Amino acid sequence: MTASAETAPPSREPARPADGPAPRPVTRASDGASVWGLVWTLVRTDFKARYHGTPVGFLWALLKPAAMFLVLVGVFSLIFHDEPNYKLKLIIGLFLWNFFSEATTSGMGSLAAKGFLVSKARFPRWILVVTSIANALITLLVFAGVVTAYLLVSGRGPGVAALGAFLFYILCLATITIGLSLGTSVLFLRFRDLNQIWDMTTQAGFFLAPIVYPLGVIPERYHVYLYLWPPTPAIEFSRLAMVEGVLPSPTAHICLGLMAAGILAVGAVLFQRYGPRAAEYV
Amino acid sequence: MARTVVEVDAVSKSFEIPSVHRETLREHLFGVLEPRKFERLQVLDRVSFELRAGETLGIMGRNGCGKSTLLKVLCGIYTADAGEVRVQTGITPILELGVGWNPELDAIDNIFLIGSIMGLSLRAIDASIDGILAFAELERFARLKLKHYSSGMASRLAYAIAFEAVREVLVLDEIFAVGDAGFKAKCEERYRGLREAGHAVLLVSHETRAISTFCDRAILIDRGRVACEGQATDVVAEYLRVVSNQIQ
Repeated sequence: MTASAETAPPSREPARPADGPAPRPVTRASDGASVWGLVWTLVRTDFKARYHGTPVGFLWALLKPAAMFLVLVGVFSLIFHDEPNYKLKLIIGLFLWNFFSEATTSGMGSLAAKGFLVSKARFPRWILVVTSIANALITLLVFAGVVTAYLLVSGRGPGVAALGAFLFYILCLATITIGLSLGTSVLFLRFRDLNQIWDMTTQAGFFLAPIVYPLGVIPERYHVYLYLWPPTPAIEFSRLAMVEGVLPSPTAHICLGLMAAGILAVGAVLFQRYGPRAAEYV
Repeated sequence: MARTVVEVDAVSKSFEIPSVHRETLREHLFGVLEPRKFERLQVLDRVSFELRAGETLGIMGRNGCGKSTLLKVLCGIYTADAGEVRVQTGITPILELGVGWNPELDAIDNIFLIGSIMGLSLRAIDASIDGILAFAELERFARLKLKHYSSGMASRLAYAIAFEAVREVLVLDEIFAVGDAGFKAKCEERYRGLREAGHAVLLVSHETRAISTFCDRAILIDRGRVACEGQATDVVAEYLRVVSNQIQ
C-alpha cells in the first residue's frame, strides 16, 4: 500500500527500512573534513562546558568516586582488615570501574543525546560515540597520574614494566568501552529502555568485578567466569601490576587484548550495520 | 556546458509506518504475539536531477512533499533505498542554522564547534574568527556565553559561520528570512558574492521571491516526484498554481 507523503504521522519509529534493494552509499569526492579537528573540538568544548573551564570544576567531578571510596573503605576495611594494601586496591578498582560505568552509559546515549546533529549535519557518526567517553577517560588518566605519584612518594614506585602494563590495561578497558558504546549507541535508538537494562547490569556488575572484595575470597574454580566480565581482568591486572608489582602471564595479556579487540569488532560491526540509518531513528 | 557537480539518479526513499509504535525492548517482548501491520510511505519516487558548477538550483514543493528527505539523502544523512547520488566535489549542507550550539560556551568556542562540525579545519576556523564576528556584528560579545545572546544575535552568528564554511556546493534548507533589513541585505550581498565566485547552490525555499531572484533553474517536487523542472520563474508559477489548487 502506498500512502501520500502528506499523510506522514509524526513519529520517531517509522524509519524502519522498507524492503527493496540494499541501500547504496552516497559516493562523493573527499571534502577535506578535518576529522581530528572535530574530535579535538568536541572533547575540548564538552570538557569546558561541563567543568566551566576551571580546575575546580574538574575536581568537582572527582568528588563522586572519592565519596564512594570513603563510604566503601569505611565499611569493607573492617571486613577485609587482613588484606594488605586493601585501600589502595579498592581505590584503583573503584576509579577503573567508575570509568567503565560512566563511559558506557554516556556512550550508549551519545547518538540520542546529539540527535540534532545526527539528523541535521553530515560528519562521521562514530566521532560522537568516541568523544562521549573522553571526559571519563580524562578523569581516569588524571587518577592514574595521581596514584603513580603517590606510589613514588611513598617509596613503592612501580617499575617501568608495571607502569607500561597499567597503561595497556587502561587502553584495553577504553577499547572495550568504545566497542560496547558503538554497539549500544545504535541499538539504544531502536530500544529506548536499553539504558535501564544496562543500569541494572552495571549495578550487578559492580559486585561481579572484584572491586570491594579481593578475588582470593572467591573459590578459584569460579575465577574464569568472573574474568569473562570485561572490567574484571583490567581491574585485577592493574592491582597486581601497580600494588603488588607482579605482572600477569603473557597469555593473560593476550586474552585481555583479544577480549578488547573482539568487543570492539562486534561493536564496530553493529555500528556499521545500524549506524547509516541512525538519523531516521533520532 | 558547465560540468555536473551533483547528480541525483532515480533516487527512491520510503519508510514503513507501523500500526503500533514500539520503541522499547519491553514493548517488543510483550508484543511478540501481536504482529504489527506496516504501511509503506513512498517519500521519494525515482527523483533525478543534476546540479552544474556555478548554478543555483531551487527546489520547491508543498509541506511534506519530500524536499527535506531529498536533501538529507543528497547530503548523506539518509541512505536511499534505490538510486544513487553522485557528488563530485565538496558539499556544505546547512539544513538548520546553528545546529549543535552549546549555550554554555561563548561565541568563539561555538564558532570552533559549529565550524568543525561543518568540516572546516581548526586552522581555517582560527583564521576566519575575526571575519565571522565582524560579519555577525558581534565583536564586542565574542566572550559572552551563547545563553545570554538574543535570538537575533545567535541567528546572525549562525549565518556568519554558514557563509564562511562554504565548499564548492552549498545546500540551503529554508534558511532565508532572519535578521533585520540591514542584515538581510548583507546576507544577500554575500550570497551574490558566492555565486560570482562560482559556487553551486541548491536552495530549498517556499519563498517565491528567493527562488525567482536567486535561482537559474528550479524543480518542483510533488508527492515524492519531480513534477516540473525548468526556468525558475516558470516553476514558481507552477508552484503557485499547485498551491492554489490545493486551497480550492
